[in-house]
Amino acid sequence: MQSSSFAGPAAAPAAQPVIELLDLHKVYRVGTELVYALRGVSLTIRENEYVAIMGQSGSGKSTLMNILGCLDVLTKGTYRLRGGDVSKLSQSRLAHVRGRQIGFVFQSFELLGRTTALKNVELPLTYTRARHRRQRAIEALRRVNLLDRAHHRPNQLSGGQKQRVAIARALAQQPDIILADEPTGNLDSATGEEILQIFDRLHAEGQTIIIVTHEEDIARHCRRVVRLRDGQVLSDTGDGDRVQRAGTPAATIPQVAP
Amino acid sequence: MKAVRVLVDALLFVPDRVAALAGNVFTALVQIRANKIRSLLTVLGIIIAVTSIIAVVSMVEGFGNYVTSFLRGLGTNMMVVYPEAVRGPRGEFLRRAEMTIEDIQAIDAGAAAIRRTSPVVWNSAVIEYGRQQLTGIELRGTNEFFQAIRNFYADTGRFFGAVDVESGAPVCVLGREVLRKLECDEGIVGDYVHIDGQRFQVVGLLESKGSFMGENQDQMIVIPWSTAVKMYPRARKYLGFYVEALQESQIPEAEGQLVRILRQRHGLKPGDKNDFGIFKQDQVLQEFHKIRLIATSVLAGIVSISLLVGGIGIMNVMLVSVTERTREIGLRKSVGARRRDILLQFLTEAVVLATVGGAIGIALGYSISYLVSMHPSMVPVKVPLWSVGLALGFSAGVGIFFGIIPAFKAAIIHPIDALRHE
Repeated sequence: MQSSSFAGPAAAPAAQPVIELLDLHKVYRVGTELVYALRGVSLTIRENEYVAIMGQSGSGKSTLMNILGCLDVLTKGTYRLRGGDVSKLSQSRLAHVRGRQIGFVFQSFELLGRTTALKNVELPLTYTRARHRRQRAIEALRRVNLLDRAHHRPNQLSGGQKQRVAIARALAQQPDIILADEPTGNLDSATGEEILQIFDRLHAEGQTIIIVTHEEDIARHCRRVVRLRDGQVLSDTGDGDRVQRAGTPAATIPQVAP
Repeated sequence: MKAVRVLVDALLFVPDRVAALAGNVFTALVQIRANKIRSLLTVLGIIIAVTSIIAVVSMVEGFGNYVTSFLRGLGTNMMVVYPEAVRGPRGEFLRRAEMTIEDIQAIDAGAAAIRRTSPVVWNSAVIEYGRQQLTGIELRGTNEFFQAIRNFYADTGRFFGAVDVESGAPVCVLGREVLRKLECDEGIVGDYVHIDGQRFQVVGLLESKGSFMGENQDQMIVIPWSTAVKMYPRARKYLGFYVEALQESQIPEAEGQLVRILRQRHGLKPGDKNDFGIFKQDQVLQEFHKIRLIATSVLAGIVSISLLVGGIGIMNVMLVSVTERTREIGLRKSVGARRRDILLQFLTEAVVLATVGGAIGIALGYSISYLVSMHPSMVPVKVPLWSVGLALGFSAGVGIFFGIIPAFKAAIIHPIDALRHE
């Protein structure tokens, strides 16, 4: 497992960059109007970082997440994922990257209703034609403490359990990053806290995690907070070794000491 | 262009996809199970198409087998010649066509390709035995060659011989059905019956041949033709006869010879039509081929209409399914599914749906033809393997043809839009 070789958060400054965004622009055309969703975002996220991307609706955080997750292509700029440029890949290659390097966790879980938890976790592995799917899926379920529910269907699981299955599905491929979009949005606060503790633990095991959220409580779990406004980075508490410019609102963010 | 590329990609990728295909088939079956009624209604057209393919083909094939085995049972190198009045003014002038024993003897003497002949008197008779009386029983007056020419033998007792024929002896051979209707057993051999009031000795029983086209061949009385013409004097001028050629291949030759002799003897001028008819086996075969052609055309009509309806049904329900499962498509794409993965998934689903319909149709079609064949006057059915293959192939083809548009629609959904879909 990847996590067995982790060096711990203390080694963060020397860690390799996983995501490098350089002057990212994204323009949509809505009817005849052009919408500038992202205008010049530059961001580096290193291995084993635990990042919250925050911002109000319209700030561009969803667009940024879609691009980070290779669900969307950028208009201008460069996006390097583990050193490889993914800005100009075809749909098919992007799908491959999504399957291999990115683990998604969605607000509404997005489990396949008629199949078991185990089958749901196996799903990404079938698309990348990975070997030992069953064992890897079982291992992923074990990491979220849900092995006893492996053969249950989503409608036999609670909301928190569903989200844990979804996290296991994201983990199955041993992705470079886990990209969570409001992962506690559909859960009560106690269950949401449970889910965040799982993310905390995965981070401690060496996993790189990015959470897109608008809730300060969630951001508090993360080691780094990137705030967006109007398609630009408003503030960034830094990627460990260098703190970027901290705008006025960012100063109020309580930062968890490393 | 994009469409073509996605399609080509999908097809080129097929060999690698066996495992994924199994997964897709499983997903498809899960979907079908989850929407049982909807799936059933969707494939109704296919079920009707395949049911009719199997039912009609199995009956036509069964019928074909039956005709063939009947003809074989009839003796393969024989013809039946019978007097037949010419229609129209010439027929009026000639009155009733005639044929006598002299005609037959002339053929025996003059036709080299003919091995032997057997006169035949056709009639229907009343038979009495004890208190039992049967009416409308087929009676044949013929000679000792009947057995060999018709390939129809007495298996109990004996057939009458040349001596009986020469003397016009009151002896008869009975079919099994007559025996059954008279409510007696094989003990009747040696006993006496009354046929149209005359006393006959039963010398033998004919083997059982079953019925053909609703006519029971076992419900028959056979007596010497000489005895028959004594009972029915009018028949003396209207004899028919069986002809056995030397070989099956010499039938046309034998026919030519007998036609020439008969025309000459009957004083027919060139251009006159024959005043007799000839029944040959290839006539039966031709009739049968006509029936088969009609059945096939009707079948093709039914099948193409119901396949079209079935295909549209499948396309419709697949389009609904794609819309319903847009979020699932988005999720699958976000975890690494490419367009061709989604395309193949939905295409497989359409094909599985259609094939399940096909399988139901095969079962139904077989049941129908089996039930029909239980009726006593029907022939036993046979479901040929090729028709099962054809039916399944057609169903799968319909699945592919009508499934490609919905599958393609699913494949090109953008993952972000799909995940936002409510």
